[in-house]
Amino acid sequence: MIHRISDMLFRPDTFFKEWSTGEGSLKIPAVIVLIGGIISAILGYLVSGIYAKMFVQGAGEGMASLLGIIGGVSAFFGFLIMWWVVLAGVFFILSRFFKGEGDFKRILEVVSFGLVPVIIGSLISLGLSLYYIPLVKVPVLKSFTDPVAVQTAMEKVLLDPAYKEFMLVTVLISVIFIFWGANIWIFGMKYARNLTLKNSALTVGIPVGIYVIYILVTAVFGISLFGGQ
Amino acid sequence: MKRYSLWLIIAVLAVFSLFSAVSAVDSAAEAAAGQVSVTLVTLDPAVFIEGDTGTITVEVTNNGVQSVPLRRATMYDPDIRVLSNPYDTATSIGAGNKMTFVFTVKADVPEGIYYPVFSLDFRDAGYLRYPVKLQVQNDKLEISVVEKPDTFSAGKKDTVRIIVGNPRDNQVNGVIVYPGGQGLDIVPTSYFIGNINPDSSSGLSLSVTPYETTNLKIKVEYKNGINTHISEVTVPVVLGESKKQANPILSNIVVDLEGETYSVTGDVTNAGLEVANSVVVMAGEGVTPVDPYRKYVVGSLQPDDFSSFEITFQAENLESVPIVVTYKDVDGNLFEKTTAVDVPEFTPGAGKEGGIPLPIIGLIIVIAVVIGGVIWYSWRKRDGKSV
Repeated sequence: MIHRISDMLFRPDTFFKEWSTGEGSLKIPAVIVLIGGIISAILGYLVSGIYAKMFVQGAGEGMASLLGIIGGVSAFFGFLIMWWVVLAGVFFILSRFFKGEGDFKRILEVVSFGLVPVIIGSLISLGLSLYYIPLVKVPVLKSFTDPVAVQTAMEKVLLDPAYKEFMLVTVLISVIFIFWGANIWIFGMKYARNLTLKNSALTVGIPVGIYVIYILVTAVFGISLFGGQ
Repeated sequence: MKRYSLWLIIAVLAVFSLFSAVSAVDSAAEAAAGQVSVTLVTLDPAVFIEGDTGTITVEVTNNGVQSVPLRRATMYDPDIRVLSNPYDTATSIGAGNKMTFVFTVKADVPEGIYYPVFSLDFRDAGYLRYPVKLQVQNDKLEISVVEKPDTFSAGKKDTVRIIVGNPRDNQVNGVIVYPGGQGLDIVPTSYFIGNINPDSSSGLSLSVTPYETTNLKIKVEYKNGINTHISEVTVPVVLGESKKQANPILSNIVVDLEGETYSVTGDVTNAGLEVANSVVVMAGEGVTPVDPYRKYVVGSLQPDDFSSFEITFQAENLESVPIVVTYKDVDGNLFEKTTAVDVPEFTPGAGKEGGIPLPIIGLIIVIAVVIGGVIWYSWRKRDGKSV
């Protein structure tokens, strides 16, 4: 088993060549994705906690906890849907342009294997969040009757130096591990959809490249909430 | 014989004429006394209170044309004590003259109507008796509190309005109100009303500033004739929150930490029923106010009115900061209200300054190198090595 995991991470071409001869199963992919979802949920809960602190006085402890739970649950299902189903769908559609052949189920397996490095990256981000989140200075809101005040307070969190640095570091780490995952997906798609290595690289590289550019831009330049400046 | 009879007739006539003369003299004295009458009776006080000392003045007029000799004049009653009886000597009241007799009496009797008798003893013609009506009524002046606050506030001046009424049948005079009580500042310290007529009243307002829960004692001193009497009433002064007083409430609070300086913005609303003057918002104890908003002067806030405020201060290792609102009522009494506001804790040295720490940069570089190596390795070890 360890040998197979090692092959998947370090010699994916060999791993997927063997894998393509088998029937395949979604049991192990499901476990991988669930682990990833749980780690994302924990990270989501911690990051939501920053905003929850902002609302403690105005909405009470109960509402603040609810915000954290909503953040965690959203991150869990977001990981499952976006990183597994949607990404597999994108790969499936793009590979069709290169005349790829093979089941969607096999793509789901490939995507889940490629998520192992992403999960490792999430674990490292989780550890860094324990350092950065306490450093974030959170404005305190006692009322929600003034939407401008709420927006201003949320923007202050986004512009907080510790928060910005945390976002930048986690994005950099994510990008590095996404590259590793993309490397696995390239070899996986080659065998799952019977593509050339070049077409497989394009199938994976286009969406991953767009995503990486997007998260790097948002991390470096920041984004505005609700049309704020 | 004839001469003897004549002298007998003369003697009988002489005796008859002598008796006629005496009889004529008595009739004249009684006729003169009949012209003497009581023309005026006055009592001071007009209506007595049990135990009061006063005077009864009787004016007698001789309406006849000749002087009437008097033996004495007295006043008598089995219940009313007559303290002086100065008219025991003989005198006379001339034709057309008036004479006044004053008697001091003490009414040590229960409430009721009494009739002490004035008696004038004529030397030659019997007595003149005249019952004088003397009323004893124990009703005292009534003190009514007609206006006072539901609750008093420590140090806050409030108005207590009273009315002093006279339920008696006679006027009282020298009425003075003396308010007092421990732990109270009262203005005026005393108030002179003077006379109060029967079934009339007189009112006054007292400015009362309490400093503790106590009793306001209102004493009214008055005179009934020469007798001093007191009426009293006690008003409880219980400190508490006035239902009407101004009530500044903080809302829409946003706390921001810029560097080492906290900035608290929000609204202050007067949720009371009275105006709040000179409203000032400031940080409480445990923090250091800093420019530009050490204090924020809001000014006057009418009921249901609000104003925005902003204060700036520095605080270390605090999770909650007291925000103090001071204001004055219309009398200038200063009030203070404190609201605790949660703030993000600021610990000196904490926060995020500078760039990414070197260990984290090193970690990212190591991860990038290792993963780059892994990718490079995976491409070297791939089967076929053809694109």
